[in-house]
Amino acid sequence: MEGTVGVVTQFLDSNIGLVAALGKIALALVIALQVAPIMVWVERRQAAFIQRRIGPNRVGLFGFKLFGLGQPLADTIKLLFKEDFVPKQANKFFYILAPIVTAVIGLVAIQGIPLAKEIVVGGHTINMQPVNLNAGFLYLFAMSALGVYGVALAGWSSNNKYALLGGLRASAQMISYEIAMGLALLPMVFIYGTLDLQTMIAAQSDSLLFGVLPNWGIFLSPISFVIFVITMFAETNRLPFDLAEGEAELVAGFLVEYGSMRWSLFFLGEYAMMFTLSALTTCVFLGGYEIPWLSQTELVALLTPIFSAEPATWVASLIGLTVLLAKTAIFMFLFVQARFTLPRFRYDQLMRVGWVYLLPLALVNVVVLALIVGIMRLT
Amino acid sequence: MDLNFIAFVVMGLAATILSGVMITRRWPVSAAMVLIAVMTLLAGMFGLLEAHFAAAAQIIVYAGAIMVVFVFVMMLLNLPPEELRYGGVTWGEMVLISLGVLVAIVLGTQVGQGLLTQGLESMGYAPGQTPAHAKSLYFAADENVKNVAATMFVDYLWAFELVSFLILAAVIGSIVIAKKRSAENANAA
Amino acid sequence: MLTLPEIGLYFSFLLFLVGLAGVMFRKNILFMMVSVEILLNAANLAFVSASKITGTIDGQVVMFFVMAVAACEAAVGLALIIALYRTKASIEADDLKALRG
Repeated sequence: MEGTVGVVTQFLDSNIGLVAALGKIALALVIALQVAPIMVWVERRQAAFIQRRIGPNRVGLFGFKLFGLGQPLADTIKLLFKEDFVPKQANKFFYILAPIVTAVIGLVAIQGIPLAKEIVVGGHTINMQPVNLNAGFLYLFAMSALGVYGVALAGWSSNNKYALLGGLRASAQMISYEIAMGLALLPMVFIYGTLDLQTMIAAQSDSLLFGVLPNWGIFLSPISFVIFVITMFAETNRLPFDLAEGEAELVAGFLVEYGSMRWSLFFLGEYAMMFTLSALTTCVFLGGYEIPWLSQTELVALLTPIFSAEPATWVASLIGLTVLLAKTAIFMFLFVQARFTLPRFRYDQLMRVGWVYLLPLALVNVVVLALIVGIMRLT
Repeated sequence: MDLNFIAFVVMGLAATILSGVMITRRWPVSAAMVLIAVMTLLAGMFGLLEAHFAAAAQIIVYAGAIMVVFVFVMMLLNLPPEELRYGGVTWGEMVLISLGVLVAIVLGTQVGQGLLTQGLESMGYAPGQTPAHAKSLYFAADENVKNVAATMFVDYLWAFELVSFLILAAVIGSIVIAKKRSAENANAA
Repeated sequence: MLTLPEIGLYFSFLLFLVGLAGVMFRKNILFMMVSVEILLNAANLAFVSASKITGTIDGQVVMFFVMAVAACEAAVGLALIIALYRTKASIEADDLKALRG
């Protein structure tokens, strides 16, 4: 027995990089997979609240009602046992591929989010960002850019006029809003001087205006924040930008031929992407896992007397993760609130908002902030 | 065997085979999808070559923008699958292609590699080492994005500006081409 | 034993051949354009590999310019394809010989 433990410890010690990487990926995956069921429940309950209904509050777990938290589980079981159906006129290969593309890209994208600062295990410092490239959040952008193919493929392969229109709309919409999205984040890149989210978050742990405000991106460039949040809605195909689905005119758009688990895979991917973009907003504009006025380094220093040196980083990271999730939850709430409050844009309005208002505004914002930052750097 | 090496070779083989698959597709959309897979694989290869910015740009610009436009047009036209008809290549063209292949093989073999290394050394480059004139400009080796930015906006500033004008011209050109037609169609309808 | 960028050059050659075959053998203009994208990608791979071999960044910068040119080509080319399809109802290269005497 002693020998086994020794072997395991030795293995962990020599392969700490690999084990840590797998652990981080697994953690991010667990979070991403939990987002969909919880959000389904939140969405239904909040919709009911807004519409003065009760909503699903019956299905419980182990005899406890728990405000209907068992509902997602019941829904999943129902969807799993539905008939797995491929329409006759569809292009079978791409019909099956489309929901998988959406779900996989959603699950891969979330790996670019820094879940916490770093933990120290056995003398090894582990950066808690699963995918840590030099190109930083461009990775998230790349994944979000690939996300359109799930929708476009679904629309095309269903071989249905409504679905095709939905896919066409989605591809035009995403490509239009991606430009404004990139331009909204550009000022943050030159304000912080980095593309790396961890460095950005570290820069946001300082305070602004003699300690009154935390040094968050939202205070440094509020216009960027507003544009980014708007484009985030468009990129994830959520109301008021869900032209690709548009129940009223396109029945369900690209989803019209889908059912059972394939249909829910689209939602898994969509919710994972919503979470990823919300977490990106949090990291760039709201200080990520940092508590306002109390940086992670200070937190670790504060916790070290209570726990010992290494567990203190674990506890600090856990607190950081909770803070990140709490901040992200604000945006998830916003997504649902907007869905049941705002009417859908017309297609020409959507294009006008993207190209005529958001793009020039983002460009002016970039130029003005570039001038300010340049002057501040010179002095 | 190095894990990076195996991954690189597998990705390269997959990209080559998939591009072969691509040019034999009957549906345009299938071809576009296979091409996106090829581009993603190439982005992975760029990543292994430590060109992180190139990898990200490859996916964002190529797979995320250019190919979306391709797919959009394919879906808009909604063409029936094409009957594959090979041929139409004359003997003269065949000879030219073979010559090109021959030159490429010569360049690819040790002779060409020797020439390449020699040429590089005469210009002051040593394989795998940052040349002296570049050293002053470059940040640390792992700061790929900063290095790209420094090179692009110092050494290649005029090229960059010219390319931006090219893009502007292309945008205006495509709008003019597309707009004239749609206005006529609107009148006809 | 070849290093990674050297293998990259070989792969770029292979990719270029495949793309060239696509441009030459397909008669559909859309397919020809997609094959041109493969050609440009092969060139990009060569540039990035060369940048790794020489230890400079110039290759990656040139690759960026190639990408910009590819974007221009796609925008104008696809607009032309749509215009052609509206007048001719075909995008086969063989059907477009109105200018042949």
